[in-house]
Amino acid sequence: MKTLKNLTMCLAMSSTIAVLFFPAPASAQSKLTDPEIASIAVTANQVDINQAALAKKKSKNAEVLNFAQTMTNDHKAVIDQAVALVTKLKVTPKDNATSQKLLADAAKTKAALQTKSGTAFDKAYVDNEVAYHKAVIGVVEGTLIPATQNAELKALLQKVVPALKTHLEHAEMLQKSLNK
Amino acid sequence: MKIAVASGGLLIASVLFLLSGCSSPPEKPKVYTVEIKDMKFVPEDITVKKGDTIIWVNDDIVTHDITEETSKAWSSGPLPAGKSWKHAVTDEASYYCSIHVVMKGKIELE
Repeated sequence: MKTLKNLTMCLAMSSTIAVLFFPAPASAQSKLTDPEIASIAVTANQVDINQAALAKKKSKNAEVLNFAQTMTNDHKAVIDQAVALVTKLKVTPKDNATSQKLLADAAKTKAALQTKSGTAFDKAYVDNEVAYHKAVIGVVEGTLIPATQNAELKALLQKVVPALKTHLEHAEMLQKSLNK
Repeated sequence: MKIAVASGGLLIASVLFLLSGCSSPPEKPKVYTVEIKDMKFVPEDITVKKGDTIIWVNDDIVTHDITEETSKAWSSGPLPAGKSWKHAVTDEASYYCSIHVVMKGKIELE
Protein backbone atom coordinates (compact mmCIF):
# COMPACT_ATOMS: atom_id res chain seq x y z
CA MET A 1 0.00 0.00 0.00
CA LYS A 2 2.95 2.26 0.58
CA THR A 3 3.60 2.13 -3.12
CA LEU A 4 0.08 3.08 -3.96
CA LYS A 5 0.40 6.19 -1.83
CA ASN A 6 3.36 7.16 -3.93
CA LEU A 7 1.47 6.72 -7.13
CA THR A 8 1.01 10.17 -8.53
CA MET A 9 0.10 9.96 -12.16
CA CYS A 10 -2.61 12.46 -12.70
CA LEU A 11 -4.66 12.80 -15.78
CA ALA A 12 -5.99 16.23 -16.59
CA MET A 13 -9.33 16.15 -18.33
CA SER A 14 -9.69 18.21 -21.45
CA SER A 15 -13.22 19.24 -20.66
CA THR A 16 -14.81 20.77 -17.62
CA ILE A 17 -15.36 17.30 -16.25
CA ALA A 18 -13.65 16.57 -12.98
CA VAL A 19 -10.03 15.58 -13.01
CA LEU A 20 -9.59 11.83 -13.16
CA PHE A 21 -6.73 10.42 -11.20
CA PHE A 22 -5.19 7.12 -12.05
CA PRO A 23 -2.33 5.61 -10.11
CA ALA A 24 1.15 5.85 -11.50
CA PRO A 25 3.37 2.84 -12.10
CA ALA A 26 4.35 1.04 -8.97
CA SER A 27 7.85 1.38 -7.69
CA ALA A 28 10.27 -1.49 -7.82
CA GLN A 29 10.14 -1.93 -4.04
CA SER A 30 6.49 -2.85 -3.77
CA LYS A 31 4.32 -4.54 -6.35
CA LEU A 32 0.65 -5.09 -6.68
CA THR A 33 -0.43 -8.66 -6.07
CA ASP A 34 -2.40 -10.69 -8.61
CA PRO A 35 -5.62 -10.51 -6.52
CA GLU A 36 -5.21 -6.71 -6.40
CA ILE A 37 -4.52 -6.56 -10.13
CA ALA A 38 -7.62 -8.65 -10.82
CA SER A 39 -9.67 -6.25 -8.72
CA ILE A 40 -8.27 -3.21 -10.55
CA ALA A 41 -8.95 -4.81 -13.94
CA VAL A 42 -12.55 -5.65 -13.12
CA THR A 43 -13.17 -2.24 -11.54
CA ALA A 44 -11.67 -0.33 -14.46
CA ASN A 45 -13.93 -2.19 -16.88
CA GLN A 46 -16.99 -1.72 -14.67
CA VAL A 47 -16.34 2.02 -14.41
CA ASP A 48 -16.50 2.35 -18.19
CA ILE A 49 -19.67 0.24 -18.37
CA ASN A 50 -21.27 2.59 -15.82
CA GLN A 51 -20.28 5.69 -17.82
CA ALA A 52 -21.68 4.05 -20.96
CA ALA A 53 -24.97 3.39 -19.16
CA LEU A 54 -25.22 7.10 -18.43
CA ALA A 55 -24.44 7.96 -22.05
CA LYS A 56 -27.14 5.58 -23.28
CA LYS A 57 -29.58 7.34 -20.99
CA LYS A 58 -28.63 10.92 -21.86
CA SER A 59 -27.33 11.01 -25.43
CA LYS A 60 -29.38 11.16 -28.61
CA ASN A 61 -26.38 11.08 -30.95
CA ALA A 62 -26.37 7.78 -32.90
CA GLU A 63 -22.58 7.60 -33.07
CA VAL A 64 -22.19 8.27 -29.37
CA LEU A 65 -24.86 5.69 -28.59
CA ASN A 66 -23.10 3.14 -30.81
CA PHE A 67 -19.82 3.82 -29.03
CA ALA A 68 -21.47 3.52 -25.61
CA GLN A 69 -23.01 0.18 -26.59
CA THR A 70 -19.62 -1.04 -27.79
CA MET A 71 -18.06 -0.02 -24.45
CA THR A 72 -20.79 -1.91 -22.62
CA ASN A 73 -20.38 -5.09 -24.65
CA ASP A 74 -16.58 -5.12 -24.84
CA HIS A 75 -15.89 -4.29 -21.20
CA LYS A 76 -18.49 -6.83 -20.10
CA ALA A 77 -16.75 -9.44 -22.26
CA VAL A 78 -13.44 -8.61 -20.55
CA ILE A 79 -15.01 -8.81 -17.08
CA ASP A 80 -16.58 -12.17 -17.97
CA GLN A 81 -13.18 -13.50 -19.04
CA ALA A 82 -11.46 -12.09 -15.97
CA VAL A 83 -14.07 -13.59 -13.64
CA ALA A 84 -13.84 -16.95 -15.40
CA LEU A 85 -10.06 -16.87 -15.06
CA VAL A 86 -9.90 -15.89 -11.37
CA THR A 87 -12.54 -18.54 -10.63
CA LYS A 88 -10.42 -21.13 -12.39
CA LEU A 89 -7.29 -19.94 -10.60
CA LYS A 90 -9.15 -19.74 -7.28
CA VAL A 91 -8.02 -16.15 -6.88
CA THR A 92 -10.29 -13.74 -5.04
CA PRO A 93 -9.94 -10.19 -6.36
CA LYS A 94 -8.75 -7.99 -3.52
CA ASP A 95 -10.04 -4.50 -3.06
CA ASN A 96 -7.21 -1.99 -2.80
CA ALA A 97 -6.45 1.70 -2.83
CA THR A 98 -6.25 1.80 -6.62
CA SER A 99 -9.61 0.19 -7.24
CA GLN A 100 -11.17 2.39 -4.54
CA LYS A 101 -9.72 5.48 -6.15
CA LEU A 102 -11.03 4.41 -9.53
CA LEU A 103 -14.53 4.17 -8.09
CA ALA A 104 -14.25 7.49 -6.26
CA ASP A 105 -13.07 9.30 -9.37
CA ALA A 106 -15.75 7.64 -11.47
CA ALA A 107 -18.40 8.94 -9.07
CA LYS A 108 -17.05 12.48 -9.48
CA THR A 109 -16.99 12.15 -13.25
CA LYS A 110 -20.52 10.79 -13.29
CA ALA A 111 -21.75 13.66 -11.13
CA ALA A 112 -20.17 16.17 -13.51
CA LEU A 113 -21.63 14.43 -16.55
CA GLN A 114 -25.08 14.39 -14.95
CA THR A 115 -25.16 18.19 -15.04
CA LYS A 116 -24.79 18.29 -18.82
CA SER A 117 -27.16 17.62 -21.67
CA GLY A 118 -27.29 17.56 -25.48
CA THR A 119 -24.07 18.20 -27.37
CA ALA A 120 -22.35 19.41 -24.21
CA PHE A 121 -22.97 16.02 -22.63
CA ASP A 122 -21.80 14.16 -25.75
CA LYS A 123 -18.56 16.14 -25.86
CA ALA A 124 -17.92 15.74 -22.15
CA TYR A 125 -18.62 12.00 -22.24
CA VAL A 126 -16.36 11.44 -25.25
CA ASP A 127 -13.60 13.68 -23.84
CA ASN A 128 -13.73 11.61 -20.67
CA GLU A 129 -13.56 8.38 -22.67
CA VAL A 130 -10.46 9.59 -24.52
CA ALA A 131 -8.74 10.57 -21.28
CA TYR A 132 -9.87 7.46 -19.41
CA HIS A 133 -8.68 5.04 -22.09
CA LYS A 134 -5.32 6.81 -22.34
CA ALA A 135 -4.91 6.48 -18.59
CA VAL A 136 -6.02 2.85 -18.48
CA ILE A 137 -3.72 1.85 -21.36
CA GLY A 138 -0.81 3.51 -19.57
CA VAL A 139 -1.53 1.71 -16.32
CA VAL A 140 -2.22 -1.69 -17.88
CA GLU A 141 0.96 -1.57 -19.98
CA GLY A 142 3.16 0.22 -17.48
CA THR A 143 2.05 -1.27 -14.17
CA LEU A 144 -0.39 -4.16 -14.27
CA ILE A 145 1.20 -6.35 -16.95
CA PRO A 146 4.76 -6.04 -15.58
CA ALA A 147 3.54 -6.74 -12.02
CA THR A 148 1.32 -9.74 -12.84
CA GLN A 149 2.78 -13.05 -11.73
CA ASN A 150 0.28 -15.53 -13.17
CA ALA A 151 0.90 -16.19 -16.87
CA GLU A 152 -2.78 -16.56 -17.77
CA LEU A 153 -3.76 -13.32 -16.04
CA LYS A 154 -0.84 -11.57 -17.74
CA ALA A 155 -1.95 -12.99 -21.12
CA LEU A 156 -5.50 -11.75 -20.58
CA LEU A 157 -4.27 -8.25 -19.75
CA GLN A 158 -2.05 -8.31 -22.85
CA LYS A 159 -5.02 -9.41 -24.95
CA VAL A 160 -7.11 -6.51 -23.64
CA VAL A 161 -4.63 -3.81 -24.68
CA PRO A 162 -5.47 -3.84 -28.44
CA ALA A 163 -9.17 -3.51 -27.57
CA LEU A 164 -8.43 -0.53 -25.32
CA LYS A 165 -6.36 1.09 -28.08
CA THR A 166 -9.16 0.57 -30.59
CA HIS A 167 -11.62 2.12 -28.13
CA LEU A 168 -9.29 5.10 -27.78
CA GLU A 169 -9.02 5.50 -31.56
CA HIS A 170 -12.80 5.26 -31.87
CA ALA A 171 -13.30 7.85 -29.10
CA GLU A 172 -10.77 10.22 -30.69
CA MET A 173 -12.58 9.90 -34.02
CA LEU A 174 -15.85 10.82 -32.29
CA GLN A 175 -14.14 13.67 -30.47
CA LYS A 176 -13.01 15.18 -33.79
CA SER A 177 -16.46 14.75 -35.27
CA LEU A 178 -18.17 16.43 -32.29
CA ASN A 179 -15.76 19.37 -32.35
CA LYS A 180 -16.30 20.21 -36.03
CA MET B 1 -13.99 -35.33 -103.95
CA LYS B 2 -16.49 -36.37 -101.32
CA ILE B 3 -13.72 -38.19 -99.52
CA ALA B 4 -11.55 -35.05 -99.58
CA VAL B 5 -14.32 -32.90 -98.05
CA ALA B 6 -14.99 -35.51 -95.42
CA SER B 7 -11.30 -35.74 -94.60
CA GLY B 8 -11.05 -31.95 -94.32
CA GLY B 9 -14.02 -31.87 -91.93
CA LEU B 10 -12.51 -34.62 -89.83
CA LEU B 11 -9.23 -32.76 -89.64
CA ILE B 12 -10.89 -29.53 -88.46
CA ALA B 13 -12.91 -31.47 -85.88
CA SER B 14 -9.74 -33.18 -84.68
CA VAL B 15 -7.87 -29.89 -84.40
CA LEU B 16 -10.76 -28.32 -82.46
CA PHE B 17 -10.89 -31.35 -80.17
CA LEU B 18 -7.17 -31.18 -79.54
CA LEU B 19 -7.31 -27.43 -78.91
CA SER B 20 -10.12 -27.83 -76.44
CA GLY B 21 -8.19 -30.62 -74.79
CA CYS B 22 -5.08 -28.48 -74.47
CA SER B 23 -6.76 -25.48 -72.78
CA SER B 24 -6.66 -25.54 -68.97
CA PRO B 25 -9.87 -26.46 -67.19
CA PRO B 26 -11.69 -23.67 -65.37
CA GLU B 27 -10.17 -22.98 -61.95
CA LYS B 28 -12.11 -24.10 -58.94
CA PRO B 29 -13.16 -21.26 -56.63
CA LYS B 30 -10.74 -20.91 -53.73
CA VAL B 31 -11.38 -20.37 -50.05
CA TYR B 32 -9.39 -17.74 -48.19
CA THR B 33 -9.27 -17.00 -44.47
CA VAL B 34 -9.11 -13.58 -42.82
CA GLU B 35 -8.32 -13.72 -39.13
CA ILE B 36 -9.75 -11.11 -36.80
CA LYS B 37 -7.07 -10.74 -34.19
CA ASP B 38 -5.96 -7.99 -31.81
CA MET B 39 -8.71 -5.77 -33.24
CA LYS B 40 -7.44 -6.03 -36.82
CA PHE B 41 -8.42 -7.89 -39.98
CA VAL B 42 -5.43 -10.04 -40.94
CA PRO B 43 -4.69 -9.54 -43.79
CA GLU B 44 -6.36 -6.14 -44.06
CA ASP B 45 -6.26 -6.25 -47.87
CA ILE B 46 -6.98 -9.47 -49.71
CA THR B 47 -6.97 -10.12 -53.46
CA VAL B 48 -9.21 -12.90 -54.78
CA LYS B 49 -11.13 -13.90 -57.90
CA LYS B 50 -14.83 -13.43 -58.39
CA GLY B 51 -16.57 -16.52 -56.99
CA ASP B 52 -13.92 -17.22 -54.35
CA THR B 53 -15.01 -17.44 -50.75
CA ILE B 54 -13.57 -15.61 -47.76
CA ILE B 55 -13.99 -16.93 -44.25
CA TRP B 56 -13.53 -14.46 -41.40
CA VAL B 57 -12.59 -16.07 -38.10
CA ASN B 58 -13.02 -14.05 -34.92
CA ASP B 59 -10.02 -14.88 -32.74
CA ASP B 60 -10.52 -11.83 -30.54
CA ILE B 61 -12.10 -11.66 -27.10
CA VAL B 62 -14.94 -9.37 -28.19
CA THR B 63 -17.74 -9.53 -30.77
CA HIS B 64 -17.08 -8.05 -34.21
CA ASP B 65 -18.92 -7.86 -37.50
CA ILE B 66 -17.92 -7.64 -41.14
CA THR B 67 -19.96 -5.03 -43.01
CA GLU B 68 -19.61 -3.67 -46.53
CA GLU B 69 -18.75 -0.01 -45.94
CA THR B 70 -20.08 1.99 -48.87
CA SER B 71 -23.75 0.96 -48.96
CA LYS B 72 -23.97 -1.72 -46.26
CA ALA B 73 -24.70 -4.15 -49.12
CA TRP B 74 -23.80 -7.12 -46.94
CA SER B 75 -22.99 -7.80 -43.33
CA SER B 76 -22.19 -10.78 -41.18
CA GLY B 77 -24.21 -9.46 -38.26
CA PRO B 78 -22.66 -9.82 -34.80
CA LEU B 79 -19.86 -12.40 -34.87
CA PRO B 80 -19.02 -13.48 -31.31
CA ALA B 81 -15.52 -14.51 -30.24
CA GLY B 82 -14.57 -17.89 -31.64
CA LYS B 83 -17.13 -17.84 -34.46
CA SER B 84 -16.61 -17.53 -38.22
CA TRP B 85 -18.56 -16.21 -41.20
CA LYS B 86 -18.12 -16.81 -44.92
CA HIS B 87 -18.93 -14.68 -47.92
CA ALA B 88 -18.75 -15.53 -51.63
CA VAL B 89 -17.06 -12.62 -53.37
CA THR B 90 -18.95 -11.01 -56.24
CA ASP B 91 -17.26 -7.65 -56.32
CA GLU B 92 -14.50 -5.50 -54.89
CA ALA B 93 -15.40 -4.01 -51.55
CA SER B 94 -14.23 -1.91 -48.67
CA TYR B 95 -15.53 -3.30 -45.43
CA TYR B 96 -15.33 -2.49 -41.74
CA CYS B 97 -16.48 -3.59 -38.31
CA SER B 98 -19.56 -1.49 -37.56
CA ILE B 99 -19.04 -2.17 -33.86
CA HIS B 100 -15.44 -0.89 -33.88
CA VAL B 101 -15.63 1.55 -36.76
CA VAL B 102 -11.89 2.12 -36.98
CA MET B 103 -11.32 -1.53 -38.01
CA LYS B 104 -11.24 -1.66 -41.80
CA GLY B 105 -10.45 -4.13 -44.58
CA LYS B 106 -10.50 -4.36 -48.35
CA ILE B 107 -11.36 -7.04 -50.91
CA GLU B 108 -9.73 -6.60 -54.32
CA LEU B 109 -10.26 -8.66 -57.47
CA GLU B 110 -7.43 -10.15 -59.51
